[in-house]
Amino acid sequence: MTDPSRHIDELRDQFTRDLEQAGAEAEVRAVRDRYLSRRSGLVSGLLRTLGSAPPEDRPRLGQLVNRLKADIDERLAARLAAVASARPPKGSVDVTLPGRVPAVGHRHPLSILREEIEGIFTRYGFLIIEGPELEDDYHNFEALNMPPEHPARDMQDTLYLGGAVRSLAGAAATLLRTHTSGMQIRHMETHPPPVRLIAPGRVYRRDNFDLTHTPMFTQVEGLVVGETVTLADLKGTLTAFAHELFGAERRVRFRPSFFPYTEPSAELDISCAACGGTGRAAKPEAASTVRPVPVESAPMSSGRGAVPPEPAPTLADRGRASTEPAQTLGSGGGGTPGCAMCKRTGWLEILGSGMVHPAVFEAVGYDPEQYTGFAFGMGIERAALLKWGVEDIRLFYENDLRFLEQFPL
Amino acid sequence: MRIVLPWLSELVPISGSPDEVARELGLRGLEVASVENGRLPVIDFEITANRPDCLSHLGIAREASAIWALPLTLPATMPVAGGPPEPLDVRLEDASLCPRYCVQVFEVRIGPSPAWLTARLEAAGVRPINNIVDVTNYVMLEIGQPMHAFDLERLAGPALVIRRAREGERLVTLDGVERALDSEMLVIGDAERASALGGVMGGRDSEIGAGTRRIALESAYFRPTSVRRTSKRLGLKTEAAIRFERGGDIETPPVGIARAAVLFERLGAGRPLGALIDRYPAPRTPTTVRLRAARIARLLGHEVPARDVARILEPLGFVVQADADADGPAWLVTVPSFRVDVTREADLIEEVGRHYGFDRLPVTFPALSEPQPPPSPSLTRDRLLRRVLTAAGFSESVTFAFIERQAAQPFCEPGTDPAAIANPLSEKFAVLRPSLLPGLLDSCVHNRRRERRDVRLFETGSRFTAEGEGRAAAFVWCGATVAPHWSMPAREVDFFDAKGVVQLLGRALGVDLDFAPAERPYLAWGRAAEIAATTDGDRRVIGAVGQIAPAVAEARGFPAAEELYAAELDVTALGAATRGDRTVDALPRYPSIVRDVSVLVDEALPAGTVRGTIRAAAPPTLISIVEFDRYQGPGVREGQISLSVRLTFRAPDRTLTDEEADAATTAIVEALRAAHGAERR
Repeated sequence: MTDPSRHIDELRDQFTRDLEQAGAEAEVRAVRDRYLSRRSGLVSGLLRTLGSAPPEDRPRLGQLVNRLKADIDERLAARLAAVASARPPKGSVDVTLPGRVPAVGHRHPLSILREEIEGIFTRYGFLIIEGPELEDDYHNFEALNMPPEHPARDMQDTLYLGGAVRSLAGAAATLLRTHTSGMQIRHMETHPPPVRLIAPGRVYRRDNFDLTHTPMFTQVEGLVVGETVTLADLKGTLTAFAHELFGAERRVRFRPSFFPYTEPSAELDISCAACGGTGRAAKPEAASTVRPVPVESAPMSSGRGAVPPEPAPTLADRGRASTEPAQTLGSGGGGTPGCAMCKRTGWLEILGSGMVHPAVFEAVGYDPEQYTGFAFGMGIERAALLKWGVEDIRLFYENDLRFLEQFPL
Repeated sequence: MRIVLPWLSELVPISGSPDEVARELGLRGLEVASVENGRLPVIDFEITANRPDCLSHLGIAREASAIWALPLTLPATMPVAGGPPEPLDVRLEDASLCPRYCVQVFEVRIGPSPAWLTARLEAAGVRPINNIVDVTNYVMLEIGQPMHAFDLERLAGPALVIRRAREGERLVTLDGVERALDSEMLVIGDAERASALGGVMGGRDSEIGAGTRRIALESAYFRPTSVRRTSKRLGLKTEAAIRFERGGDIETPPVGIARAAVLFERLGAGRPLGALIDRYPAPRTPTTVRLRAARIARLLGHEVPARDVARILEPLGFVVQADADADGPAWLVTVPSFRVDVTREADLIEEVGRHYGFDRLPVTFPALSEPQPPPSPSLTRDRLLRRVLTAAGFSESVTFAFIERQAAQPFCEPGTDPAAIANPLSEKFAVLRPSLLPGLLDSCVHNRRRERRDVRLFETGSRFTAEGEGRAAAFVWCGATVAPHWSMPAREVDFFDAKGVVQLLGRALGVDLDFAPAERPYLAWGRAAEIAATTDGDRRVIGAVGQIAPAVAEARGFPAAEELYAAELDVTALGAATRGDRTVDALPRYPSIVRDVSVLVDEALPAGTVRGTIRAAAPPTLISIVEFDRYQGPGVREGQISLSVRLTFRAPDRTLTDEEADAATTAIVEALRAAHGAERR
């Protein structure tokens, strides 16, 4: 027969292992039952086997078993106390369940951008003005050096009212403003120089509603008039603005253009972010041999046999969402892959600008010899398309919450 | 304007790749639409409306000549031989619409054009027809002068009469369409009838064809506004009309004929007969503009060296003569006849600036000489509205200012119609919106159809009522008031949620609003209230809140079984009712006493009336009345409700006693009994 004291040691080791493996409270209790149950417990079983031990050994062994029992009892109690103290108190919560998020709405992306632009120009010392959306022919066109039958009126295909309607300015209006320039005329009519303002607001054109056009859009126009305002000031102001809005890493350039109410006129381009200003497609197709991509060359298949494309004669039009659909690369261009964002030019038009035409000053009673000024205009939708990579301008007017909720609070 | 580069280089010896040429011209303001590197390389320019002279190879050649300091070679012309006048009677009857009219008779042999010519025309985007028509098109593309050839033998008289059309006169144009003319339109007629629309399109009856032996070649200058008007009125946008409406060169008509004569001779297509007929009753006086160096610096912010001014202007065709005075260098600049866009000093400064290079100008910031006034109150107000409404869970919408007539009608004041747009794009955009709600309703439906049941949207913007343009704010709300959560069932929005938002707006703007039952055609009966603001004792209705009438909502696709709540406010009136800056009240120093009172009253009695009675019967120590229960059911008689209000009393200068509060409460209950037959429960 083996030494019964060895059995005692084995049982202690076995208990140690079992207790280690027991995790939750119920498991610890199961271990206790297994070892200490009066009838079926392993310790009681061991005690019963002592009857077969030599009588002279029995007191010593009995002592050992009792010590084992006390040891097990103590360790179990300690363990149960530890488990009990780790249990969540009454009234505790499951923190992994979802919380109740307060309902908060989102500003419209056009408002977000408009407020950002207003913030920039406010820091530049510009006044923000608002005005009527219904206008008369004089304030929308004539005072801006666009007399009746002026070819430049073509580009601002105008929505006319069926009858005169009282505008917010209290005047009898005949059309929906095609730009916010009318407000600037009204401001100059009633305020002497210096002038330094922006005029944001909705404007209307008789344009189809499609991927890149909308009959209503949002504009910010600006005007600075003083005795020493120059084209260099225009460059400085608008360069700083473009860098703030689109990022200081963008290159900017001013390109001569035409608007009836500025002379000289300039368009502001920024380098394209999609291609880094190279005009090349970000990832040329593996099969195509990439030729050096000409700057400012985007093949237009519509040129053949068509009348010359209309020019864009208003400040506003530069900034409006006239992002033509990307040309089908490879059609007519000899298969040259190129950047679809900028139509391979490496540049994106963002706004129109220029020195205020003397005829405009004359119309509002400013002396064009004494004062000079610059004006600019941009479409907020187009800026939003570029800034956030929105591909369909109609999203701005559908008010789909899945779209709106993507913009910051 | 498609410029064929080998053709351009005949006029100015450009070198460099098409891309380089395009880039440099683009930076001078000639916007490039595309560059095509074919066998005949082409640059397609988008010419702005002020530069009709650049709708020709010659115009672009002048720009190139100024950029690269290259000599300009004018296309060869030949003086038209004299000889006995041909029997053609040319009568200029309306010199105001046609200041100059030249015509030359040619003997011609119609045939196809040689390949070099048709290739150039095709590269420029013009379809070749026959040698005579092709030469007229070639000259137009080359020097910018549109011309028209009449079959001389098909002109009655033979005569060409430049006159206004007779009212109701008709003409079949070259495109085969019969056109009704009016007396504002200029026609070229023969002895009997109209043969062409001056500057727009020729007539079919005098069109040249294979059998034509003699032509009258017209080369004229037409009044831009007249051509534009005729072209627009008839919807006829032709190459000729595009050039004339922007302004032709009044000195070029004879040059066009002299150039055509050279080409006819080279092609063996014809020779001139008799002398040139030139009707030019009031020759142009050249425009001279004084240009001051100081003014250039003043506008551009940079002193352009004096030598650069002549270097830039002369290749462009300007005649520059020094004219310095005490104020510094200046020039007398004679403007060439083809530069119709240049009439004043600023125009010349633009020429100097764009060829000097905008990129070479300095970058400065305009000096600020005085502080700006604050932004307009409307701007501050709208920002506040946006902040409060987004905080209340509403997302901002932007909808169109023009809508369908049917969508607008329920929102018009009864008896009025929405303001119509005279030339709408479609029926969907036919009238100005009388309210922001139709657009919001449609946006709500849009979201509902895309699995969004719970929708809260608002908009601030213009609306156009019978009183004219105004600014409003509106919101719509449907579905649950809080997002569904595991802990509790969702509660559907009701009238009081919508009213609460309006109350919040009133608080944000510092306006005391009151609400009264109202009827609106677009709101459900019994669930609509007018919103009023009182300033200086003047109560003014500034909006409405309620449930959108189910029929109105359903007509736009909103589910009939569900409820949609909405409100709209005149924000100009709301802003005007704002209380001025207020001082802060001291915090109360003494405790308040609360008494709850439940009374049984008629179910039709408005809580607002009960509140009024309480207010009238209570001492000034009553500081608030809050309805906290409204019960109908077992224990309350049919037709009655149990209304419970919590009354709070407090005095500013002492601690109130229970006896005072009890006495006040008793008086209130007594007043309710007297006024409304109320029983205390």
